[in-house]
Amino acid sequence: MDNTTHFGFKDVATEDKQNLVRGVFDSVASKYDLMNDVLSFGAHRLWKRYTIASSNVKTGDKILDIAGGTGDLAIAFRKKVGESGHVILSDINAAMLGEGRKNLINKGIFGVDFVQLNAQFLPFADNTFDCVSIAFGLRNVTDKDQALAEMHRILKPGGCLLILEFSKTDSEFLKKFYDFYSFNVMPTLGDLIADDKESYQYLAESIRKHPDQETLKNMVLDAGFGFCEYHNLSGGIVALHKGIKV
Amino acid sequence: MQHFALEQALNYLIQTGAINLKPLDNKTIRFSLKDLPLDVNFICTNNRIFVVSDTSQHSDVNISLSAGVFFALFKGEDLTDLLRQDKIVIHGDVKIAQLLVDILQSVDIDLEEVLSQYTGDIVAHKAGKIAKNFKQAVQNSSNPIDTIKDGLSKLMITPVVSKLYKNKHH
Ligand SMILES: C[S@@+](CC[C@H](N)C(=O)[O-])C[C@H]1O[C@@H](n2cnc3c(N)ncnc32)[C@H](O)[C@@H]1O
Repeated sequence: MDNTTHFGFKDVATEDKQNLVRGVFDSVASKYDLMNDVLSFGAHRLWKRYTIASSNVKTGDKILDIAGGTGDLAIAFRKKVGESGHVILSDINAAMLGEGRKNLINKGIFGVDFVQLNAQFLPFADNTFDCVSIAFGLRNVTDKDQALAEMHRILKPGGCLLILEFSKTDSEFLKKFYDFYSFNVMPTLGDLIADDKESYQYLAESIRKHPDQETLKNMVLDAGFGFCEYHNLSGGIVALHKGIKV
Repeated sequence: MQHFALEQALNYLIQTGAINLKPLDNKTIRFSLKDLPLDVNFICTNNRIFVVSDTSQHSDVNISLSAGVFFALFKGEDLTDLLRQDKIVIHGDVKIAQLLVDILQSVDIDLEEVLSQYTGDIVAHKAGKIAKNFKQAVQNSSNPIDTIKDGLSKLMITPVVSKLYKNKHH
């Protein structure tokens, strides 16, 4: 059996990837929000807003945000589900979860639970959630198929999975611009603002290694979802996959 | 784009109690548009409706019709009349089809008005505008699914520009 996987463009032992990813997010945690705004020109807020609007989430729903980091989605979901609903913000990384907790307190958002977990092993009963989301997190997960199967298991029938992730653009112009931007500008900005060139080099590489729209759609269907469709945002630089458990 | 706006409107009406979804619980109804490579599924489950174009799973009821008839149906034309005129072919339970058509016809509302309450002004306004242009754009396009998806990108990109512009002048 092949026991290596990719960490950006490097091949590493499968069991090492999780620690390497942890290193990246330990290192970027405190500057994460600022860097997100700078690197995406603020567009990540609109991609997330579109994700929330597509979620069909209602008052009273139970929601799990995986790889939730500083909590942008959890905050928006909290407002949608109201007092009778339940939102859990989860992440594998204690430093990111800590930033999330701080962020929510600063914004006066209460009633969100925090759970440190690995997307591949979700500590919840079958058929628990109305919606499970993962934004810009799946590409960091070592065994994506296992994580998708876990997400399917914990969703209720009729539950909705939302995966927001960098993807592949068809536009030659955007491709060129984006390649230049992510391999030249992004690591340099990472160096200047967060004093961490390597982490931002990894983030750029991991985006290229992530499955394209159709591949990810088939992975979602293979995990057991009855339906999956995706919407390209910003010309396919980012895609939102929506899976429905039947 | 169109199905994003429609999904928002339907679920808003479900949440406010204006639509009762119980009779359609766990039913998937598919509209197959004969003249366009476009299928639209209405998946009624967990007290909400998902509107998706993916056809991986079988539907309970399949309604096959032309794009023109699809829009006529939306505007309130009678399902039984259209069936009698052979403009629509239904595989599956006609009663279920009728229930969904009743619901879709009840979305004869000011879409922009509903969306502005639900998703915020900028998105609602854009969604309304894009939805209005949808029929023509899809009919003129060689690949309607891409046209729909492009609508989404427009929706995402335009507010960025207007937002930045606004902030700069504050
Ligand atoms: C780029 S951040 C995204 C944060 C947030 N969702 C957002 O969109 O702003 C990726 C997050 O994935 C988390 N992560 C990486 N591998 C994970 C895993 N196996 N399980 C859960 N979270 C993971 C990281 O700790 C990090 O917080």
